[in-house]
Amino acid sequence: MAEKIIELDKISVTFKQKKQTIEAVRNVSLTINKGDIYGIVGYSGAGKSTLVRVINLLQRPSSGSAKINGDLFYEKIGNHEKVIDSKKLRKKRRKIGMIFQHFNLLNEQTVVQNVAFALKHSSLKEKEIKEKALNLLQLVGLEERADSYPAQLSGGQQQRVAIARALANDPEILISDEGTSALDPKNTLQILDLLKRLNEELGLTVVLITHEMEAVKRIADRVAVMEKGEVLETGDLLDIFINAKHKLTREFIGTEKESAKALATLGKSKLVKLGDDQECVQLTYIGSAVGESLIVKLYKDFGVVASIIYGNVEILQETPVGSLFVIIKGSTAKRKQAIEFLKKQDIIVTRVKEGEVLNG
Amino acid sequence: MVELFTKYFPNVVYQGWSGDGGWLQAIGETLYMTFWSALFGGILGLVFGIGLVLTDSDGIIPNRGAFSFFDKVVSFFRAIPFIILLAFIAPVTQKIVGTQIGTTAALVPLSLGVFPFYARQVQVALASVDRGIIEAAQSLGATFSDLIFDVYLREARSELIRVTTVTLISLIGLTAMAGAIGAGGLGNMAIAYGYNRFANDTTFIATLLVLIFVLLVQLIGDLLARILNHKNS
Repeated sequence: MAEKIIELDKISVTFKQKKQTIEAVRNVSLTINKGDIYGIVGYSGAGKSTLVRVINLLQRPSSGSAKINGDLFYEKIGNHEKVIDSKKLRKKRRKIGMIFQHFNLLNEQTVVQNVAFALKHSSLKEKEIKEKALNLLQLVGLEERADSYPAQLSGGQQQRVAIARALANDPEILISDEGTSALDPKNTLQILDLLKRLNEELGLTVVLITHEMEAVKRIADRVAVMEKGEVLETGDLLDIFINAKHKLTREFIGTEKESAKALATLGKSKLVKLGDDQECVQLTYIGSAVGESLIVKLYKDFGVVASIIYGNVEILQETPVGSLFVIIKGSTAKRKQAIEFLKKQDIIVTRVKEGEVLNG
Repeated sequence: MVELFTKYFPNVVYQGWSGDGGWLQAIGETLYMTFWSALFGGILGLVFGIGLVLTDSDGIIPNRGAFSFFDKVVSFFRAIPFIILLAFIAPVTQKIVGTQIGTTAALVPLSLGVFPFYARQVQVALASVDRGIIEAAQSLGATFSDLIFDVYLREARSELIRVTTVTLISLIGLTAMAGAIGAGGLGNMAIAYGYNRFANDTTFIATLLVLIFVLLVQLIGDLLARILNHKNS
């Protein structure tokens, strides 16, 4: 049983704007284990940023409880509110690093001063602070830019400074609030790989908020999908990828798009018309690519002809996940046998019918 | 050269350098009034400006009552025309400095006249600090004083210098007006010795000196603001 580091229980956040009340987060419970890279995905306005701000109490919730690394930060039972004392909170916040979409570095301080700022209240002496700041910059590969100002750096470099700053107090948690969303693809990958490295080398728990599924696919272990202030589903990345329950999740993962593509191909192409003895299925399989030999096997053993109309392989948690859209042709009984066989091979078979993806 | 000057500016020469009514005294009084009222009014304005930003609804310690207090006081003093303020607070001046006339007495209305203007300018300057930067500092466990000194004031420093320059220039204008209550200075020189005595040359030189003063403040302010700005280098 993994150790829990972030426990959010029935968290709601409401904002009052004049006479309107906006429920940014509704009754969300989320547990994050130590050492995990936890991705929280959703479109903008889904409440992701508001939710993670509860973790370091930059945002005070309206109800629920938040327990971070064993310390109770916030709890509301009935009308009785319990909030961590502000001096203690400041201390605890230093153990929760956070990076932002727009980096938010101090513009009027040099790179090394920015990192040193985080250490202002540490027990270190001035000389040791500078030393540690330089070490941290070395960790993110920017030691030679120590005396530059943030505006002189590229976006990716600024974000690396922000990471060095967030790591200054040896935090156990690092929150990335759309940390790669303002970066170009190359810098995005560099930052993601850096986060992954920090997770592996320092055992850092990373909370990754993003609207880009690619970021989550690359490094996350577990995923939560948010919409309209609620968490739709949570789970292991592979699990979510293969057995997404909600349409939104599939949209994010890209399977929805794939199906749409496959169906469009089907519909447009006059050559492909599903006859009585044909049906379109999606095959999803994990691990070694077996697609090619499967098709041969289907024909040899079951007399079912399978033609591929769309195929894709993704790498999740260093595991290839393949997805094939095929049209199988054969008698009803033979097709059924073939599908049974496929299921036994740990292949997920999804029927694709008339513009709809039926999870089967 | 000296003869030529004496010929065209007889009254200027008549005023003399030193002594009562001399140019040195007038320049000194203007500098004296500008310096001290900039200091007092500046501190007051800074406090109110910071107060306005911190207690505003999106500030770090939102407080409607305190914000409303700062806002009302600033608006009240800004609404009074300076020339009326001079007369209006004369009794207060009497209490504080013991007299209603003279250079030192002018410091009270000058400080009170300049502080609301400065407070609004400071408010705008500090509000330009990105909310995200403040949030990032909070996430690092910054204390209240860290947020004010290392984040708000430091991040806005070049903007603050710019608004301070504008305020100083407007203050120099006010010191000239304070000449009306016998505060002395170059304004007094231009009006009392120049205009009222039909000595246009004296008015001209006094104006020229004020202009040079303003220009110097502007140049130094611009230079400092540029040197201390690292936002878009």
